[in-house]
Amino acid sequence: MKILKTLPVRLSIGTLLMAFAALGVSSIPTGCGKDISTTEPLPTQTFSNVDANAGSWKMIVLSGPSQIPVAAPAAVNSATYASEIAQIKSDQAALTDAQKSSITYWSSGGVLRWNEVMRELAAKSDLPPAPNSDGTYPVPSAANPFADPQYPFSNPPYAARAYSYVSVAQFEALKAAWYFKYLYKRPSPSAVDKSVQSLLPSSGIPSYPSEDAVEAGVNSVLLTLMFPTSVDEINAKTQEQLMVARISGRATQSDVDAGFALGKSVAAIFTARAGTDGMKAAGGTAAVWQAITDRTIATGQIAWISQDSPARPPMLPLFGQVKGWLMAPTDIVAVRPGPPPSTSSAQMKTETAEVKASVNNITGDQLATVLKWGDGASTPTPPGHWDTIAVPYIVKAGQSEVRAARTFALLNMALHDGAIACWDTKYFYDNPRPSQLDPSIKTQIALPNFPSYVSGHSVFSSAAATVLGSLFPDGASYFTQQAQEAGMSRLYAGIHYRSDITAGIQEGQQVGNYAVRFAATDGAN
Amino acid sequence: MVITAMGVAAHAQTLEDGIMLARGTLCAGSIYTRSQWSQYWEGTLERTNGNIGTVTTNSVSGMANYGITNRINVLAQTPYIWTQASAGVLHPQSGFQDFTGAVKLNLFQRPMDNHGSFHAIALLGGSVPTTDYSPDQMPLSIGTHSKSAFGRASLNFLGRRGLYLDGSLAYTLRDKVTLDRPYYYTNGQLYLSNQVAMPNQSQYGFNVGYYRRDLKIAGTFSQMNTRGGGDIRRQDMPFVSNRVNESRAGIEVQYPLPHFHDVQYWASYSNTFQGRNTGQATMFTSGIMFTYHRERRVAP
Repeated sequence: MKILKTLPVRLSIGTLLMAFAALGVSSIPTGCGKDISTTEPLPTQTFSNVDANAGSWKMIVLSGPSQIPVAAPAAVNSATYASEIAQIKSDQAALTDAQKSSITYWSSGGVLRWNEVMRELAAKSDLPPAPNSDGTYPVPSAANPFADPQYPFSNPPYAARAYSYVSVAQFEALKAAWYFKYLYKRPSPSAVDKSVQSLLPSSGIPSYPSEDAVEAGVNSVLLTLMFPTSVDEINAKTQEQLMVARISGRATQSDVDAGFALGKSVAAIFTARAGTDGMKAAGGTAAVWQAITDRTIATGQIAWISQDSPARPPMLPLFGQVKGWLMAPTDIVAVRPGPPPSTSSAQMKTETAEVKASVNNITGDQLATVLKWGDGASTPTPPGHWDTIAVPYIVKAGQSEVRAARTFALLNMALHDGAIACWDTKYFYDNPRPSQLDPSIKTQIALPNFPSYVSGHSVFSSAAATVLGSLFPDGASYFTQQAQEAGMSRLYAGIHYRSDITAGIQEGQQVGNYAVRFAATDGAN
Repeated sequence: MVITAMGVAAHAQTLEDGIMLARGTLCAGSIYTRSQWSQYWEGTLERTNGNIGTVTTNSVSGMANYGITNRINVLAQTPYIWTQASAGVLHPQSGFQDFTGAVKLNLFQRPMDNHGSFHAIALLGGSVPTTDYSPDQMPLSIGTHSKSAFGRASLNFLGRRGLYLDGSLAYTLRDKVTLDRPYYYTNGQLYLSNQVAMPNQSQYGFNVGYYRRDLKIAGTFSQMNTRGGGDIRRQDMPFVSNRVNESRAGIEVQYPLPHFHDVQYWASYSNTFQGRNTGQATMFTSGIMFTYHRERRVAP
């Protein structure tokens, strides 16, 4: 009896194994191996060129490299300097594991790491406000950023502007730093004293003022301006980068102090610009929203309406009037494409039918493309997506900090100007989405809350591809293909007509060319 | 019958219950399920959302159970699922979801004088997605597209007069899922990866009711907790690895159709009365299960 009772249990082990093998689940990890990378796995930075002449590259906002003065440093044979060197040595003798991993983190380059931080802040803030109980929507307030809803709602135009402010200011500040570095030519601590270890990639670049500290100064001020609720994270990164500059043996305290002050002073110029660039008015007012609708109806067209429930005010209808970097208001008008097909035309009917057929017969590959380029709420937005695409090219080219900053500045100026041009076009024509003209059209991703023509993804992507293609010719065909894919993903998703994409790609190319032309004459080639 | 006295059913068994199928018996059929919710918990905040209205998830599952012996059963099922939202513009999703297979073991049974008997049941199994549906279109995605392995232990009492008591504990290990995008934000962090770690899930539950001669009527309660994962942020979309918790109660009925030998009708109703990052769903199931006996009689 006893044997009979236990027999089935014994048999079950073999049966179980067979069953598991049949299911193909025997290889399932059991709770291990679940750590997913939160940072980009970047290699240690290499420098193909130190760009010693970057101090003479053309400025964009500053009047020149010495607009912010940086006083001459103490001599390397002074007592002050000797005590700074002694401090580095004593720090290096007592490095903690946390400090070592901080050094490893920043050894991939501060420009790349800060860009990564900014993408995270943009994603964190990329949430539309929830409606009030009466069907209205609260507006995030810069004056009270921690209130509900938190400030900002980092939608694509807001994010494009934020990326550009930080990127351009950092580029200007680094050009100024390079000017003073090669003016004063103070060697790095490890070059002065051979017993100081060099724990960051060594470049031979003079160390006063510290480029790491310049970056920390710019980013701490402008990221806090753009993403005020993330101030603690930003400060922690700032302090970490300043510490790494010193304990790695790359810079002394005076190198760091001078760099940090320079970075913050340059950032202050951009803070002032941001206060008067038109962003504050970009949300418009109820009267502005109504005027856009009335104007559209007066032209005989169906006006865009919000399909959010409850209906949400249009996203940043006056963003088209925000100040550009390389494009004047007349340039924005000049690149504005001609009108979309009339909402009552046969062509519009055909295009609407194409959207419906496409979204209802979407293939697995097309859906993957849609989701890859979704870039909706809680993402770094399309501009951040294109910054991500640039990263491996910057790494592979071995760009110096100042040149990597130039890459992001050119790219993000084009993305910001692209946002202006695109939003100008969107609210100039106020064209309805496919799902408004045909309510039977359902979308594969959340419907963006602004007019259809032209596609933002198309403008952003083609502007970015144009800039990146000129900076990295090896990748040009890949960037173009990615831009086309990004544009078409919006048709597959059911949120854009083909015309939106075609016209958006053309507009984006023209926007991108402004940055390409600037880059051809800024002295960096 | 000897078989039922042992607690082995001629029909019927599910992944959740504590009931065994007799040796040589195949029980197969199809269950239709409809789950609906108009309120959901965004983290712990209960709300409605005009952009989705009422979300309905329908499924038809093919199910089969087989008694290898009286004490070792195997189970398999695959649902076809279709979802839709009553408001807003989101496109319905549909497709075959995951294949689930499991082995059910009657570990021991202990008669309690003349009152009935206790049974200890173990269930081990796993699931794998059968198609390339995307888990990145929550709340309309048809599943999480995660491979899983699970274990369940239950202890039940079958009374001579039909009293049915069942308590169970379960744990599910879930494998990473892969998205079609290179980054995602969840749980206060941007992840620069297309891989999403899926928190494991634990569950416990009780069934109390009547079960005799293939007629079962039971009240059910279950509590599922996800062992990690982030909350849906205010006004954000749900995400595949969210911390989904559910307290669910309901009733289920399995009863043999009169005049149809070996055909059983199943129905259940349940409600999610408390939850986190999930809909306040009401769920109905309805289905027919057929039983085929390879051997008409089974030796004890």
